[in-house]
Amino acid sequence: MNELGLLFTIPSLTALLSLFIKKTAITGKLCALAAWLQLALVISVLLPILTGHSTSISFAPGLIVDKLGSYFILLTTFVVACALTHADYFFQAQAVIGEPYKDSRLKLFYAVVNIFLMAMTSVFLCDSLGYLWIAIEATTLSSAPLVYFERNKHALEATWKYLIVCSVGIAFALLGTVFIFAASQRSDLGSGTLNVSELIVSAKTLSFPLLRLGFIFCLLGYGTKAGIFPLHSWLPDAHSEAPAPASAMLSGSLLNCALFGIWKASTVITAAKPEAPAFHLVAVMGALTVVAASIFIIRQHNLKRLWAYSSIENVGLMVFAIGLGSGPLFFLQALNHSLAKVSLFLISGNIVQAAGTKKLSKLHGLLENSPFWAGALALASLAVAGAPPFGSFMTEMSLLTLSLGHKYYILAALINVALAVSFLGILAHTGKVIFGAGKPDFKVFSERRAALVPMLLVASTLAIGLLVNYESR
Amino acid sequence: MQLSTFEALAMLSAVLGILILGTTLLRTNLSFYRFHTLAIVALTVWIGHITKEAHLYIVAAAVLLVKVLFIPSFLGWVMKKAEVGSDKQAFIAAPLSMHLGAIMLGISYLLSSRIPGLEGVHQEGSHLGSTAAMSILFTGVLLMLTRRAALSQILGFLVIENGIYLFAVTQTHGMPMLVEMGLLLEVLVGVMISGLLLFNIKKSFEHIDVSQLTDLKD
Repeated sequence: MNELGLLFTIPSLTALLSLFIKKTAITGKLCALAAWLQLALVISVLLPILTGHSTSISFAPGLIVDKLGSYFILLTTFVVACALTHADYFFQAQAVIGEPYKDSRLKLFYAVVNIFLMAMTSVFLCDSLGYLWIAIEATTLSSAPLVYFERNKHALEATWKYLIVCSVGIAFALLGTVFIFAASQRSDLGSGTLNVSELIVSAKTLSFPLLRLGFIFCLLGYGTKAGIFPLHSWLPDAHSEAPAPASAMLSGSLLNCALFGIWKASTVITAAKPEAPAFHLVAVMGALTVVAASIFIIRQHNLKRLWAYSSIENVGLMVFAIGLGSGPLFFLQALNHSLAKVSLFLISGNIVQAAGTKKLSKLHGLLENSPFWAGALALASLAVAGAPPFGSFMTEMSLLTLSLGHKYYILAALINVALAVSFLGILAHTGKVIFGAGKPDFKVFSERRAALVPMLLVASTLAIGLLVNYESR
Repeated sequence: MQLSTFEALAMLSAVLGILILGTTLLRTNLSFYRFHTLAIVALTVWIGHITKEAHLYIVAAAVLLVKVLFIPSFLGWVMKKAEVGSDKQAFIAAPLSMHLGAIMLGISYLLSSRIPGLEGVHQEGSHLGSTAAMSILFTGVLLMLTRRAALSQILGFLVIENGIYLFAVTQTHGMPMLVEMGLLLEVLVGVMISGLLLFNIKKSFEHIDVSQLTDLKD
């Protein structure tokens, strides 16, 4: 119980402080520092799992963190720390280049980010599907103010759609949770439980029709939140209207939370019936999402929406990994996607800020304006598109190999083609941004510092691609 | 046909839910939502009485406080401040959508007896609990699909949430109390955030017709 409180101490204190400190320049640095401290703290709390001394830590009834969960907590905290470090630069640059944001808005931003971090951390601590639902809905509510940051009509529209579509989607996940609970009450468990660890143990005795119904609703509900096709409509709007550090967090950590919900629900149904037809739905929906996203990627004309659709594609791959029942591949795909995509959103944020437009047709000649950023953008988009030897290439390869083992030949072929299409699409779009005549009104502020965090992230996904031994998985 | 108290209360909540569809006057909608939720509270208390599950009384009291007393009053206040009275251009005329709701109630009855596992745990052989829950779910979806005003969207979400709550009450022996309370808190916070957004929509666009929010697309 003490350790549980410890995990939430730093973000809650920082959230409070951000509201009261007058100078937002100080708040920005404080929040970044606090996020890195939080990362150190998370590592020390989860150390027994990370070193392999124990497989799970139980904090309270219904709150157990396992190996996958603890890796995800690390990833989430890391992503938030990177985004906040960059946010400090981003808002400074905004004050120099364009119209500075009001202090009150920045204060709220920093406070909300910390609450958002707490909500996301608690998602991965949940063993109970009920708590999991509450935590995931809390991530929606706490990230809505981040999407509404710009306070203009577009941001308003994006926030409204985000809030309503995700809340209704998640409501169906709640219905699924109710059905799973009802299934557990018609089993050996007697009075019923929502704890995944107990559900798995007596999975064979659960009322299967109810469990299946519950699983399908959970898949659709959390799928809406993760942005699987055709329930993705809110995602490109929210990701493109939020300020760059917030987009990075939405894409690099929030999507993982919803996918973790699907993963938890799927562990129960696979324990009940390993070859249930309903479970094949997961792989099919994942593959469909990849295909649909690759088509949307080709016909984009907005830089940030392009990356949003690329996130949808990666969500498809992660759902596919869940459909194959592979936790490690699910995490590796999430890890590589988060690192590369956060890097991309941050560097694209700089470009959009300097050029004053998100339209792909008006962005060109980055190489002339700022060679440093051009390099970062090129590397990060290669990493996201899955070029070797970056981490996502290795995971995508293992994913396709594994899918052949599961006899998903058609799906594997579809995904293969879609990945090639989106690879070409992404490279064509970034090629246009990088090459050509430079823009005369491109306002670069502190070029090297701006590229620091994105470059570090790209380097780390490269290191993963080179160092992690995929054969052993 | 004789209805037990359980069945009568379940049906009452479903019918009161359908009546929300019957008018585009937002204030009347809110009142019907209040009565509809009150019927659900009564049902919760009744189930608590027959199953002797004391925690259901606490849940019922919390639902009464949040969803019957606070939320409709809050939304009423938002309406007054934003100066909106009715949802004029619904996609389907109100009487028609109410009839659709009634048809959905019938479909729910057929569906709930077909889908295995929805027998309910409190009344042997009775499907009316899940029929009512399913019908309320459909009512909420209809409300969200056929109305344009932002406030109707919030109301639709609340009705859907009520349907799910009714599923939880009739199909299980009560969800764990912490989960129920967390859920209520989320609904409360969600409604307050969307209420604030509604103000801003009214201020920026000078209307609350969300079907006109179509600037963002590919």
